[in-house]
Amino acid sequence: SFSRKKRHHIVIASNLISDVQSVLRSRLFEETSNCRSDIAKAEHTLTDLVKRTVEFGESNSLLIIGAKGSGKTTVVREAITKLQKNEKISKSLLVVRLNGYVQTDDRIALDEITRQLHLENTVGDKVFGSFSETLAFLLEALRQGSSDSSQPILFILEEFDLFAQHKNQTLLYNLFDLTMAGLTPMLVVGLTCRLDVMELLEKRVKSRFSHRQLYICNQWGTEDYIEAFSVLLHLDESFGKKSSKHKSFLKTWNASVKEMSENVSVRDILKRQFDISKELPSLYHLLVQPVTQISMTHQFITAADIADSARNIFADSKSNILHGVSVLELCLIISMNHLTNIYSGEPFNFQMVYNEFLKFSQKKSHILQRYKKPVVLKAFEHLTELELLKSKDNCVTAGSKILKEYRPMILLVEQQQLRDAIYKYPGCPTDVQQWAESSIV
Amino acid sequence: MYISGVPGTGKTATVMEVVSALRQSVDDGDLEDFDYVDVNGMRLTEPHQIYVQILKKLQGLKATPNHAAQLLTQRFNQRGKKTVLLLVDELDLLWTKKQDVMYHLFDWPSHRHARLIVVAIANTMDLPERIMMSRVSSRLGLTRLSFLPYNFKQLQSIVSSRLSGIEAFDGDAVQLVARKVAAVSGDARRCLDVCRRAVEIASQQNRLKKAMKLTTIEHVHEALQEMFSSPMIMFIRNASTQEKMFLRSVVAEFRRSGLEEATIGQVLHHHNAITKLDGLQPVSVTSIIKVCNSLATARVLMLEMGRYDLYARLRLNVSIDDVLFALNSDV
Repeated sequence: SFSRKKRHHIVIASNLISDVQSVLRSRLFEETSNCRSDIAKAEHTLTDLVKRTVEFGESNSLLIIGAKGSGKTTVVREAITKLQKNEKISKSLLVVRLNGYVQTDDRIALDEITRQLHLENTVGDKVFGSFSETLAFLLEALRQGSSDSSQPILFILEEFDLFAQHKNQTLLYNLFDLTMAGLTPMLVVGLTCRLDVMELLEKRVKSRFSHRQLYICNQWGTEDYIEAFSVLLHLDESFGKKSSKHKSFLKTWNASVKEMSENVSVRDILKRQFDISKELPSLYHLLVQPVTQISMTHQFITAADIADSARNIFADSKSNILHGVSVLELCLIISMNHLTNIYSGEPFNFQMVYNEFLKFSQKKSHILQRYKKPVVLKAFEHLTELELLKSKDNCVTAGSKILKEYRPMILLVEQQQLRDAIYKYPGCPTDVQQWAESSIV
Repeated sequence: MYISGVPGTGKTATVMEVVSALRQSVDDGDLEDFDYVDVNGMRLTEPHQIYVQILKKLQGLKATPNHAAQLLTQRFNQRGKKTVLLLVDELDLLWTKKQDVMYHLFDWPSHRHARLIVVAIANTMDLPERIMMSRVSSRLGLTRLSFLPYNFKQLQSIVSSRLSGIEAFDGDAVQLVARKVAAVSGDARRCLDVCRRAVEIASQQNRLKKAMKLTTIEHVHEALQEMFSSPMIMFIRNASTQEKMFLRSVVAEFRRSGLEEATIGQVLHHHNAITKLDGLQPVSVTSIIKVCNSLATARVLMLEMGRYDLYARLRLNVSIDDVLFALNSDV
């Protein structure tokens, strides 16, 4: 059987693997998957609104609200792709996309709008005129339109809450005012992850907003999540059409995916990840490592790969950092932990930590050599740089009068994290371990 | 003249209507001809731009704000010009530190030959007393008019007048909308929006049933639910298990301390205890902080900004009762 397997390896061309990789990578990174059912409903509402804007010249405004990674952008993109297939709509509809992170103030946003609308005061991509002229020009242009003759415009404002932080909310006021005025037909769609976005709007802006809200919230359970997992890894029939080898590979691959989604440990990992975050990106995070590891020698994703990736994802970042510190630094962390426990969360300074450490190293530890004070201070500073401890109030800056030995500090490591770190620390001396357990020396 | 009232009570629409009536009487020859200029504070990038806008609309000239102000002052000092009716919408945005813009606006009409009427519109009734200097508010005079929020009868008649001649709405449905909106804000825009949404819902259902039906009270109820509902409870209901647990621990910590604020570190202890109690696998601190951040981006929690890590303070953005209601409803 070994020889057959080996032959099989040789037979499969390397482009097969790269094909699999490209299919799966595009699913993970280009966000083209649609394994969500509730998104379809939201998409339908949006499509309906756009259609009405185009066909009847109705103006509307809409807010899409949902947690980060819940597929708000996907809804808009899918809706637009579908509408673009309709010839009548794709010809007449103008789409203006703005993002709150890019258009950080109204001036930039207006320049961007004029550019995307190809208005006539633009000469080769460069908009001239001052901010106020642009605003006056744009409003003039939009106000001259009428509901039956003008071209409908679809405004998409991503990170809508950032637009609400602009001065006077001028842009939002004007956009919403235009939707109310019944002139140029336009649909303003805002995307945000803040649930309290309505409270950010000024009263007059809020009054002009039509209060249509679409909430995208995850109403799927663990089984749907596991289903999405197998859908995400499943290869389509179109993959098998490339060659006969592809076809045979497709069968084995899909069988292995099916087997994996029924595997108890994989299901357990998926359930844990689902408990932390219900959104799809959490699934992507889990799958990135296994997918990128597919190679000629390792052709199928196994349950062990998933477990490996899960270990990385569920790992605690601070315990990981603690694995990398020296024994002296670990001892300092332990003494700080004791101080925090003894004085119930009160801040400590370097001198206290040093005394605590001396008590231990003089009485108990026979392995640790007696470090000089400057060496210990250096270790202490290194821990501060790693931000495992922090000065009590941030007002203590570099120019502060307090010497660094006496600066009040607090520890940013939980007891649980420290315990984990010591448990896994490579070659941790026994007396240090014992000292970590109890503060009595 | 100063007109005030909350948004959506028909201030601008009324003034527009008056102006068009005046235009009509000019055409009929009952009234001398006049120029009408309207500016909106929200459509300006900066208060001084108002001079530019007025000048452009009066004389078609383009100038810098300072120059425009000079030209306008000159014009309003000359005799024998046409009467000008100037409508200033969203007056409160024209506030500057020196208040020169507002001063000019209300000073011009007091010139002998100005023949200028300024009608200013804003939301708050006490705006002149609150933000204007005494010499500005004294020029504004005492001719004031305030628009009260609509009561339900007025809203009902607004909607019915829009619907006159069309048999689309149930009488009771209109009344429900009017009463609901009047109870909250008395905003006519909101009222019409709700009706529009109700019609959409009705037509969607009619399409499914292939029957023509009036927009009834159920449709209106659904539209109202949709537009007035709070997303918080729905979000918490659909949150992931760990997110729900974190909220539960926040509530537990608040109950323990009796305060309305806690640090992440304090909440962590409760979280660990609750995880063990529910028999779930313990999660790392990093994951819990991830959960906390996702709650904070949705603004269910208010989290202190900055790199405070475990010592970042947090508080709830919803009432504890709402959280408990949302958490308990699915058990």
